[in-house]
Amino acid sequence: MAQAVQDQESRTLSEGEGRQANKPGRGPIDWLGGWRTCLVGCTTFILLAIAIRIFQQFTAWTDGIDASSEGFAQTYRALYYAEVLAATIGTLVWWGYLVRKGRQLVNREVSHDEEVRRIAVFWGLVGTTSVILYIMASFWPNQDGAWHQTAVRDTALTPSHIPMFYLFFPLGITITVGTYLYGRYWLPKVYGAEKGFPWSFLFLIAASVTEMAQVAMNEWGHSLWITEEIFAVPFHWPFVWYGWLASGIFALWAETAIRLFGIEKEVEDAAENPAEVGTFGARREEHEAIEAIAS
Amino acid sequence: MAVDAKTLELRELVLKKYRYIDRKWDLVFWVTAAFVVGAAADITKQLFAGDWDFWTDWKDRQWWPIITPFAIIIIGSALQYIQWLAWRFPTGMTYTAVAFWFCTLVGRWLQWGAFVYYPMNFVWPATMVAAAIFADWVLLKTRGSFILTSIIGSALFTIAWWISNYIPLAGLLQPAVWMDRVVTLADVQGIEYVRSQTPEYLRIIEHGSLRTFLGETQYVAFAFGTTITVVGYWVGQAIARGLAIWPIGRFLKKW
Repeated sequence: MAQAVQDQESRTLSEGEGRQANKPGRGPIDWLGGWRTCLVGCTTFILLAIAIRIFQQFTAWTDGIDASSEGFAQTYRALYYAEVLAATIGTLVWWGYLVRKGRQLVNREVSHDEEVRRIAVFWGLVGTTSVILYIMASFWPNQDGAWHQTAVRDTALTPSHIPMFYLFFPLGITITVGTYLYGRYWLPKVYGAEKGFPWSFLFLIAASVTEMAQVAMNEWGHSLWITEEIFAVPFHWPFVWYGWLASGIFALWAETAIRLFGIEKEVEDAAENPAEVGTFGARREEHEAIEAIAS
Repeated sequence: MAVDAKTLELRELVLKKYRYIDRKWDLVFWVTAAFVVGAAADITKQLFAGDWDFWTDWKDRQWWPIITPFAIIIIGSALQYIQWLAWRFPTGMTYTAVAFWFCTLVGRWLQWGAFVYYPMNFVWPATMVAAAIFADWVLLKTRGSFILTSIIGSALFTIAWWISNYIPLAGLLQPAVWMDRVVTLADVQGIEYVRSQTPEYLRIIEHGSLRTFLGETQYVAFAFGTTITVVGYWVGQAIARGLAIWPIGRFLKKW
């Protein structure tokens, strides 16, 4: 009996629950449990931006003014190549993992604990998206205005453009698409493929993709028209319009919150009707009761 | 005092204990959302009205009060709609203003100050916190009427914004004599702190032949600024309704 119960559990556990369920403080809604992704993700990208900013403080005025200089090649051009390479490889590895792993577990039934943990991880990814959008749309653009209205326009590769346009703008695409893949495979009841493509993600991913496209238009515009810059020139406005599409992020919070309340309802219903067939929560309580008797 | 059934039902709902839902969900939402809200407000302001906000000598009476309130009310209006719809909170504009203030202050201090060495008394950002509180107050008092808030709230917003930013600006409008001309301290800052890529002829402030306009330029600017801000308010409403709320639970079947 105990073995049968254990077999049933192993078919329905996913890695999160099996690994973490017994550790204190690693539950689905604990800071080092389900919320760890939020803490790690947000902190990582804030620290990355700070690290690049510190690098710029020591090198921008000495090596960053002239894109044809040797100093520029050794600092900013090297940083550019490193960023593009790292972002490309990191993106492909992460998306590849999400698709491969996701296909294995998308059709497995999960417990309420595990589904709540996944929603917390999803909110962590959405929070990380929010932080990356801040770094993309506020942290670096402030610097871009400061640098290009004071130093020089120079080329498309400048100390302010390199971390902004060629690292964090692509990371915006990485994180939005990655968050979708996580939702699609890990939260099938909310974003399963059979429902279609979510409009919320369409807007959010479109925001990051069109922002990247706008980079090209922006640099072409600067090469074509006067390089003296007021920040509010009309060909900068599409950055704002595309950025408004990121409002779809609110729908992600709402859609998963709705599922969270749905899970709470299922837990309530299972508590009121423990013999109810078809509610996983109820079956789980039955299994726990059986296991307690068997042991 | 007798309590009706509906009140009891709502009270029970507020005090309900959940298995998985605790205050951490609220904390994570409000803190992480502040990043994207502040950033959206900052980029909208920077690319629609940035130049008038970056420099004290561009904070004039003619263009600054027109363009800036229009730019900054957009995201605030969007958050007003979202927070009122979701929770009946009259806090959307203020929440945006505070998040926006943090984002713009970090940017101004770290980039314009520490990176290119302009003093903060030259590149300080305008605040919208006081203006936002008034706009949220109007939403509360009109019991969630977005139409009334767009008109009355925008008017109060524009005027409160001007007053709350005129206070730090006033000291820099003191007259100074520079190269035998009477200018303001802000003008001297603009001349002395060189902006290589922003030539001196590119200065969209105080245009027009009737420059003095009997000293009434700013009142005319308030009036027009209010009407433009109403437009900005509805742009924000469209963003919230169309891009944030409409997609909830909607899927593209064929793509």
